[in-house]
Amino acid sequence: MDDLRPLASYAAVGAWLDSLRQHWGGDPANDDPERLDILEAFCRFADNDPDEIIAGCVLVRDGEKRIRAKGRQRYAGLIAEFQSGVEGSRLRRAKWGNTVRSFLIHNGILLQSGVQGGEPGSEMRDEGD
Amino acid sequence: MEFKEVIGRRRSIRFFEPDKPVEREKIQKILEAARLASCAVNAHWAKAIVVERDKLPEDKLERMKTPVAALNIELAPVHIYWYADLGVVNRIQGSRLKELVDVGALAPTHGWSHKFVDDFVYPQILKPMTEGPGYPIGAATDCGVAICQALLTAFDEGLGGCLSSFNGAIAKELFHPPDDWVPLYVLLIGYPAESWEAGGQRPRPPFEEQYHDGEYGKPFARDEKVVEELMRAKMIQEPASPNNPKRTEEIKRLAERLGLPL
Repeated sequence: MDDLRPLASYAAVGAWLDSLRQHWGGDPANDDPERLDILEAFCRFADNDPDEIIAGCVLVRDGEKRIRAKGRQRYAGLIAEFQSGVEGSRLRRAKWGNTVRSFLIHNGILLQSGVQGGEPGSEMRDEGD
Repeated sequence: MEFKEVIGRRRSIRFFEPDKPVEREKIQKILEAARLASCAVNAHWAKAIVVERDKLPEDKLERMKTPVAALNIELAPVHIYWYADLGVVNRIQGSRLKELVDVGALAPTHGWSHKFVDDFVYPQILKPMTEGPGYPIGAATDCGVAICQALLTAFDEGLGGCLSSFNGAIAKELFHPPDDWVPLYVLLIGYPAESWEAGGQRPRPPFEEQYHDGEYGKPFARDEKVVEELMRAKMIQEPASPNNPKRTEEIKRLAERLGLPL
């Protein structure tokens, strides 16, 4: 998508960074220089801006906010596809996927992707232990 | 481990060592503990289907994942699916009560006899009970007692565990429980990947808010000396606190190791 504004100007990005700061401390906008770049890459991949992504996972019924199961499934699938297309190590692919998952999670969209490369002997395990 | 410490040490564990199998004998001990639980009319509604994760085809494992427990199901090597067998009372028709009479657990001193069971207890109390709306609640309560004993035994054996709801319809397709088994919880079991403290004892409502003395509205007073005694016995332990740096670091480390989002 071509008309993406600076990411920090989107409400959902602000909510993400605020929640990250509140939960983990630090300066989420700067302590991982790739964080916003990864989300931007995903937005272009999905052809949605950050607020549209969150809106696609939520519906309001009878005045109550609910998670839209189909929307969440769609984005879970897109994230997996996005992640698998990242060049580099398995660890790097997992990081890119999990960064986008974190964006959804901190906007209230429950998402459990499972272990990303935790098999014995995988590079994730080798680097993590 | 002493009994009170087992209670104190139990936490819902959500990070399991995915590749460390649980010994079959430990699974049996967990089930043995459930079988010995107290149970109304000796009916023993609690039934379980033990599923070893790695023996389940991947597509079936995927189907059992729920939005909230998907990761736990993936990490835990053993899943114990608990059911309330609602048909048991009408199958046994008081026979297990008569076993209690025979062994002297229910004695004539308390009014019990085979004839009382046959003529009154089963036809006039138990059978109508199974037709009432409160029956599943009573059965599930008894199952909860058994499941709790199983859960505590897991911790006594050095394992971690967590109870989660599961999709009964999918479980029915995959594991074929009888039609009159009502799904309750799945007990996910494995060796903890997190420290046994897991951030500390989880927040609980105030004691006096939960328990009443003689009548509703009169709180059961909490004696601090008893609290201190239970702390010495390790039943009451260091409570979990918000933004605990040690816990935060632990979660970050686990996330990095297992490839999980933060």
